[in-house]
Amino acid sequence: MNKTADYVIIGGGVIGCSIAYNLAKKGAKNIVLIEKKYLTSGATGRCGAGVRMQFGTETNCLLAKNSIEMFENLEEELGYQDSIEFKQGGYLLLAYTEKMVEQFHKNLGVQHKLGIPSRWVTPEESQEIVPHLNTQGLLGATFCGKDGHCNPFKTTDAYAKAAERLGVEIMTYTEVKQLLAQDGRITGVETDKGVIKTPVVVLCAGSYSRELAATIDIDLPITPERHQILVTEPVEMMQGPMVMSFYHGLYCQQVPHGSFVMGLGDPNEPKEYNFNGSWQFLHEMAAKATFLLPPLANLRVVRQWAGLYDLTPDRQQILGSVPGFEGVHLAAGFSGHGFMIAPMTGKLMAEHILGEETSLPISMFDFSRFARGELFVEPSVV
Amino acid sequence: MRIEKHPILEFQTGKIVKFTFDGRELEGHEGETIAAALHAAGIRTMRESGHLHRPRGLFCNIGNCSSCLMVVNGEPNVRVCVERLREGMNVETQKGKGELK
Repeated sequence: MNKTADYVIIGGGVIGCSIAYNLAKKGAKNIVLIEKKYLTSGATGRCGAGVRMQFGTETNCLLAKNSIEMFENLEEELGYQDSIEFKQGGYLLLAYTEKMVEQFHKNLGVQHKLGIPSRWVTPEESQEIVPHLNTQGLLGATFCGKDGHCNPFKTTDAYAKAAERLGVEIMTYTEVKQLLAQDGRITGVETDKGVIKTPVVVLCAGSYSRELAATIDIDLPITPERHQILVTEPVEMMQGPMVMSFYHGLYCQQVPHGSFVMGLGDPNEPKEYNFNGSWQFLHEMAAKATFLLPPLANLRVVRQWAGLYDLTPDRQQILGSVPGFEGVHLAAGFSGHGFMIAPMTGKLMAEHILGEETSLPISMFDFSRFARGELFVEPSVV
Repeated sequence: MRIEKHPILEFQTGKIVKFTFDGRELEGHEGETIAAALHAAGIRTMRESGHLHRPRGLFCNIGNCSSCLMVVNGEPNVRVCVERLREGMNVETQKGKGELK
């Protein structure tokens, strides 16, 4: 196979499919999306499936708010016959230290300025929202009822199908071996099925973006970090919101099917490609989840899995071009919150790639911020 | 018909105990599975399917398939094919996914 494309998107996760759809919707032609395995086989299909607006930086709040507004109408927008299982049961973010209380109030200030309907709630009010919550040691929480859940597999499927209807070619089980460039300009990609000549490459391959960028001597500061999740048997709906505690490093939500999906962040996790589940996770997750939400002790675990965060030094995604290099666009390093901002990210990236003015500024997500030392850390992530 | 031989499970024929199924009083052998006791009493429907609410009976009989989930002593989602019968158990047909208490 040797072929030519106007745009090659590398990565068949929700970000790649969203960019492909948005590019095609704007009239771009001859778009090829390449995926190493199957769609959602990377971080998208392994994520915790939460969507929220409650972030700590203005830019993430804006990306998330716009994305949630897009999720609300996404089935219609994409002509999707199935359901993306969007549920707005809210996010309850728990505060256990004075420092967290202070940070959460700062976050609320940022959120309110942008019209995000989040609010401070006392431990008693938290228990009204989640009746089985153990409030021991809890100082308070923030709650936003517009946050919630969405199915990452179905969302990606919806974007991919809509993109294909607009003429995008999706090649699964095709691995990009290296990017091809000449005189600071992209000329194509070499895959295990042959070369595709193209003037534009969009890199959204999660953690693997670093290896791919390295083939044209671009050094992306992205490291893989394993995160683990488990899912329980389904029961009737009993918990509306995602309960999230940065103090315990955990999140736990009942998805529309009735299962509880929960995960933990481990600060000591080695930075490597590791997809193995561990018994230590099961043990720690069970202990922490049943402390916070005691009735869950009677639920059986159905399975567990692991996926990779594509972590950047400031836990913020890299969006935009590479200075001094023609034809490379980056949408990677989402650091664990890529799925929930995929709708708006796809739209912004399409605008950026086509040289239009972006609907929201994305310059702060620029790759060169690391060289300039202008990191801006997102405070509210697990 | 009483299940007496099974490739994986053992069925005991010990002491007779009483238990209730949806309010009916039944008897079975202590230590056999609840499913075996129900089967012996002629009960073939263990639960109903999630979407179309059609009857579901024993299927894998080894605790894998979720076809026989019932409420036992108030606890939902009990796999009665691998749960042993004890005196005075309250076994109920489960409607829906079960309520966690």
